Amino acid sequence: MPEPPARYRRGVGGTGAGAPALVLRGLTKRFGTMLAVAGVDLDVPAGSFFGLLGPNGAGKTTTLSMVVGLLRPDAGRAWVLGHDVWADPVAAKHRLGALPDGVRLFDRLSGAELLAYTGLLRGMDPATVDQRATELLDVLALGDAGRTLVVDYSAGMKKKIGLACALLHAPRLLVLDEPFEAVDPVSAALIRDILGRYVAGGGTVIFSSHVMEVVERLCSHVAILDQGVIKTVGPLDQVRGGRPLEAVFVEVVGGRTATGEELSWL
Amino acid sequence: MALTGAALTGAEPPAAAYHRVSARHFARLKLRILRNSLRGRTSRVVLFLGGVLFGLYLGGMGFLLAALSAAGDGQVRLLVASFGGAALVLGAVLLPLVWFGIDDTLDPARFALLPLRRGQLVRGLFAAALVSVPAGTLLLATAGLLVPVAVHGGFAAVAVQLVGLVGGLLLCVAAGRAVTSAFATMLRSRRVRDLAGILLACLAALLAPLQLAVVSALGSTDWDRLAAVARVVGWTPLAAPYTVGIEVAEGRPVAALAKLLITAAAVAGLLWWWGRSLEPAMVGAATAGPARAARPARAGPVAQLFPRLLPGLPVTATGALVAREVRYWWRDAKRRANLITVAAIGVLVPALVTAGGSRVMIGLAEPGTDPGPASPAVANLTVLFVGAFAASVLANQFGFDGTAYAGNVTAGVPGRRELAARAAAHAILMVPLLALVGAVVAVVRGEAAAAPAAWGVLLAGYGTGLAVNQYASVLAAYPLPESSNPFATASGSGIAKSLLALVAIVVAYVVAAPVLVAAALLDGAWPVVAVPVGLGYGLAATALGCYLAGDVLDRRAPELLAAVTPNR
Repeated sequence: MPEPPARYRRGVGGTGAGAPALVLRGLTKRFGTMLAVAGVDLDVPAGSFFGLLGPNGAGKTTTLSMVVGLLRPDAGRAWVLGHDVWADPVAAKHRLGALPDGVRLFDRLSGAELLAYTGLLRGMDPATVDQRATELLDVLALGDAGRTLVVDYSAGMKKKIGLACALLHAPRLLVLDEPFEAVDPVSAALIRDILGRYVAGGGTVIFSSHVMEVVERLCSHVAILDQGVIKTVGPLDQVRGGRPLEAVFVEVVGGRTATGEELSWL
Repeated sequence: MALTGAALTGAEPPAAAYHRVSARHFARLKLRILRNSLRGRTSRVVLFLGGVLFGLYLGGMGFLLAALSAAGDGQVRLLVASFGGAALVLGAVLLPLVWFGIDDTLDPARFALLPLRRGQLVRGLFAAALVSVPAGTLLLATAGLLVPVAVHGGFAAVAVQLVGLVGGLLLCVAAGRAVTSAFATMLRSRRVRDLAGILLACLAALLAPLQLAVVSALGSTDWDRLAAVARVVGWTPLAAPYTVGIEVAEGRPVAALAKLLITAAAVAGLLWWWGRSLEPAMVGAATAGPARAARPARAGPVAQLFPRLLPGLPVTATGALVAREVRYWWRDAKRRANLITVAAIGVLVPALVTAGGSRVMIGLAEPGTDPGPASPAVANLTVLFVGAFAASVLANQFGFDGTAYAGNVTAGVPGRRELAARAAAHAILMVPLLALVGAVVAVVRGEAAAAPAAWGVLLAGYGTGLAVNQYASVLAAYPLPESSNPFATASGSGIAKSLLALVAIVVAYVVAAPVLVAAALLDGAWPVVAVPVGLGYGLAATALGCYLAGDVLDRRAPELLAAVTPNR
């Protein structure tokens, strides 16, 4: 199995300048006969805003689930700020905040209760939890929801409370799966602003998306994942090479983008 | 091509282009989904086959019992058909509510977008519900009633009884569906959910008097009186479909016809009732809307999380876990329904039996047949069952959470803390109830010392039950459908639930055996030391269970999450 350079490993300048915030080596996952993720290698530089692009079924969610410790990889390893997610999960999870997709929250709690629960679970001091949770609820415009249970939230509100849970303990790495899906333009702008400030403050964000506009506007780096393999990776401008990102994406991923004679009954 | 032209010009496509959706499609859809869900999953195939075998066993036993009544006289045949049939119909109503749930392969919410009329949907879902192992079991068991009718009646009687059996099957399935659906609607509604909970507990507790009535009826020798009761029951929908063959055999075809009409009316009424509660289920609202928004938050987020009724909870990670669990036992309709029914059948029923249940039913029993309270050793065995069973609702505690458990995995909650907090939250709700059970036992037995004696055994049984079920919940979790219906289960999970509970209780008995031995040896001195001994034993067992199972949980948290994720 390929090892990352020594400086990425735990205790050897893992959080030092220039060291990647997230390192993936040979990450592989197979479901039955289908190879969902076929050996992903990725270096996410610290302080970068990293977009993971890919068509539906490319393995984005599977990859990110393995990064945050929700899905055990068949092979390969993942290091969060130098800490192996699967060998030393406590240290790694302490440093990352996650917004998984397609996963429920503890939605029989109200937004405030959910934040308090998440904060205390991560061993935070109750006063800090209160202060940060109140602030997050206000900023994300969830304070008006009062004691409404999260299960009764709209899809966009659920994304926002999920994001708040991921941010609460001020992690140094945010792993977000489709954070802009089902979010209205105003909330999306708000989330972009929050994430922009977070990166400006030295945090690292990796998020998956298939919305090119969002990625082009936000990201410093992108990777295109298709059929479980990273096809292209690098700084945004380098990957684009002067073309629109969508053109690059379609070229890398392939597939048809127009209909022919079919569907004439539509 | 004609269709293409019509569509392009914006005209309605001709009606002939669409086939009418019939009930048959639903039944075939269910079979297809069942087959696909079994494909390549050995454990599910094994569970399914286990369910089929168990169904065959139960159905075969029922068939034999019914068929053997051919050897008895007319009164015996009437008793078997009438009481047996009534027991089946009542069971079809109660068992899905209190234990097995209903097969959710075809969740009504998935048809919400299809252009189906309510009648079509009800007929379709009804047809799909008939395609199931329990329905087959029912049909096999009741088919035994054809034997006495064939022996003592003619061809006509058998034919009519056959119609009656089909009617009885329709009645049982419709009753189970309608009642669970109505309860699901009520449990979701904020307005009546507490009332529904009480009603559910009462229905579940009905099993006790029913059981006792059967026992006292068997002990009774007054066959004529029983036959009179059976005759009356035979005219209710409970047993009408099962006694039509007897009516024809005894030369009363008009009565048989009337009974068939009663059955048909009951089925129609139940289907109508079911159809009415289907619409809220289709909309799929998990709760009845944000009624709580009106109340503003009264304190900081942390203070909101911790229930005011539990002021002593530490404001730590463990405390937060306990607080969330306690809130979930109450707020999650699925958990609440399970908690209520387990409390009712697992705790109150055996408590009544232990306490010398026949005294409770003294009005029905013949004088002189009252066996009196059970002996202390037997009582302790039953009380231990109560304690162990009270913990059985935890056997799939992670299944209740489903994918929400991912939140705890990403937060990196240590397994021992996770399990200890869950056990503590359940104990906060259950121990008061167990205390009540001990008190009831003492009151009914009429001796004050019986209370501490029972408490000791209860605590030991509950503690070992907790330990065993912690293990089960980590190793044998299974997904529950993410449905708005708290009674919804996947095909085959009823058998998994039963097997888990059975194994957990047997193991709990073994682990708690020293306490039973101590109780028997100490005899008169037992009530004095029972509570500290039981409490210590229970606590030690729970601590050991959390310690060992927590270690397993640390190693397989992602696998557990995958196990409780419903596959869609």
